[in-house]
Amino acid sequence: MAVVQDVHGHVHGHPTGIMRWIGATNHKDIGTMYLCFSLTMLFIGGFLIMGVRAELFMPGMQIFEPEVFNSFTTLHGLIMVFGAIMPAFVGFANWQVPMMIGAPDMAFARMNNWSFWLLPVAASLLIGSFFVPGGAAAGGWTFYPPLSTQGGLGVDMMIFAIHILGASSIMGAINIITTILNMRAPGMTLMKMPMFVWTWLITAYLLVLVMPVLAGTVTMLLTDRHFGTSFFNAAGGGDPVLFQHVFWFFGHPEVYIMILPSFGIVSEVIPTFARKPLFGYSSMVYATASIAILSCIVWAHHMFSVGMPAAGQLFFMYATMLIAVPTGVKVFNWTATMWRGSMTFETPMLFAIGFILLFVIGGFSGVVCALVPVDIQVQDTYYVIAHFHYVLVSGSLFSLFAGAYYWLPKWSGRMYDETLGKWHFWLSMVFFNLTFFVQHFLGLAGMPRRIPDYALQFADFNMISSIGAFGFGLAQLLFVYIVIKCLRSGEKAPDMPWDGAKTLEWTHLPTPAPYHSFETPPVVKF
Amino acid sequence: MSDGDIDKATVMQVAKAVFFSFIGIRKQGDLENDAVKITLLQAVIGGIVGCLIFIAGLILLVRIVTS
Repeated sequence: MAVVQDVHGHVHGHPTGIMRWIGATNHKDIGTMYLCFSLTMLFIGGFLIMGVRAELFMPGMQIFEPEVFNSFTTLHGLIMVFGAIMPAFVGFANWQVPMMIGAPDMAFARMNNWSFWLLPVAASLLIGSFFVPGGAAAGGWTFYPPLSTQGGLGVDMMIFAIHILGASSIMGAINIITTILNMRAPGMTLMKMPMFVWTWLITAYLLVLVMPVLAGTVTMLLTDRHFGTSFFNAAGGGDPVLFQHVFWFFGHPEVYIMILPSFGIVSEVIPTFARKPLFGYSSMVYATASIAILSCIVWAHHMFSVGMPAAGQLFFMYATMLIAVPTGVKVFNWTATMWRGSMTFETPMLFAIGFILLFVIGGFSGVVCALVPVDIQVQDTYYVIAHFHYVLVSGSLFSLFAGAYYWLPKWSGRMYDETLGKWHFWLSMVFFNLTFFVQHFLGLAGMPRRIPDYALQFADFNMISSIGAFGFGLAQLLFVYIVIKCLRSGEKAPDMPWDGAKTLEWTHLPTPAPYHSFETPPVVKF
Repeated sequence: MSDGDIDKATVMQVAKAVFFSFIGIRKQGDLENDAVKITLLQAVIGGIVGCLIFIAGLILLVRIVTS
């Protein structure tokens, strides 16, 4: 096994104590910080939604004023999207991309540090906005005008937080692109890269494409609020619908920014535990690129009920439905990879299979929402909530858990408790479906989203959904316990805990991965 | 055939590669052939043109449906 060699003939020291983290330039340290940050935000966002589900446990107003309720739903969405899911994937990219392509570190190590340290600032702005006069933003995570042009200081704090998070994402994306294109080991051609690296390369391009659009949108919102412009203010000749178009030009690719790296993780986990190479590697690469391109021309399907010409509705309906084709290719490829494989069902594999099963449900309900006549009915109902949680929770979050369990031995040098891991999966699986499957029925029956009270006929399903949500939230505490137990007292992991793993971090590095890896690039021959 | 000929991909080859990329499938043999013959510039230009044709096709379909 080729292990780390120091070409200078000495071992690099590294800072210890608090400065190791504040001044971190090592991709593994920064990856760890990203992951810890995103886990913290997951629980903050989760705490907010526990409040929401507690209010919705039964009809009537029990706990919150309506404005506070709206703040909780708004900040839940913003924190989960920008604070939990996206940084978690960047954390995975930081840890894994250099090791998987045989690079010593990320291309721009100091920019990497800055990318991370912007995040706590933005998070503080978001969370701090609860405590300013007027409270936090309450117009939904999409902050449509006129609500967002009318809100108080909390909206301004949200706008600045989004600016900062966007800058962080753009820098992270540039770093990832540069690392992948310039720092691959000899022999690691583009078409030999692991799928996780491919999906992140394409995701990074999407980020560079759409995050500036978001920055522009929130800047226009800011100038509307404070500098007398009327981009989105109808009273001054502006158009609130313009905001929706520009926002969703960012917003829909954003959905794929949060799911493409998931595809990458699952494409690493399934071949390992099926002990077969990924079926249709090249078609997976093409399908990922295809999904990314299509994601840029479907944005107005979020706005069918806003009003647009029939021709526009049809265009966006057809384009949206076509995304099912490359997505279906991926699902078939994962299934074909498992077909007749020597499968075992360790926790990462369970989460990966759970991902496929539930993501397909989310994908299908997405095609349902793509149909204009249906979407007019279900727009802004719990059907849409159910749809995108099947994509983002059982899609993105499950894949993150799959990846965390898969690479935890490599990162920490210790094994997690497999029994507890399986408990985590099954509890998550049961409670997730309990929470969100019934929301399809609520939506079809007409229950609107973002309301703190509802009609009596929705009571039973809401109670079931709330019980599921509390169970799902508690189940995630088990994950924290499993990680802490693993780090403190887990069994020492062998160099190759998964015998089907084929990527460089498993085949060419010891476990745990050394602080500085691949100072001498490996030569890739496969 | 000289070495120079090996590197050249015809417009049809680029179009086929882009078409299969859009669907998300490609035969391994054809992929390897593409990788040798199609340059990055050809792939990017082919992708952009393919995108425009795709959008034009959708608009045409919508026109037909709504006429």
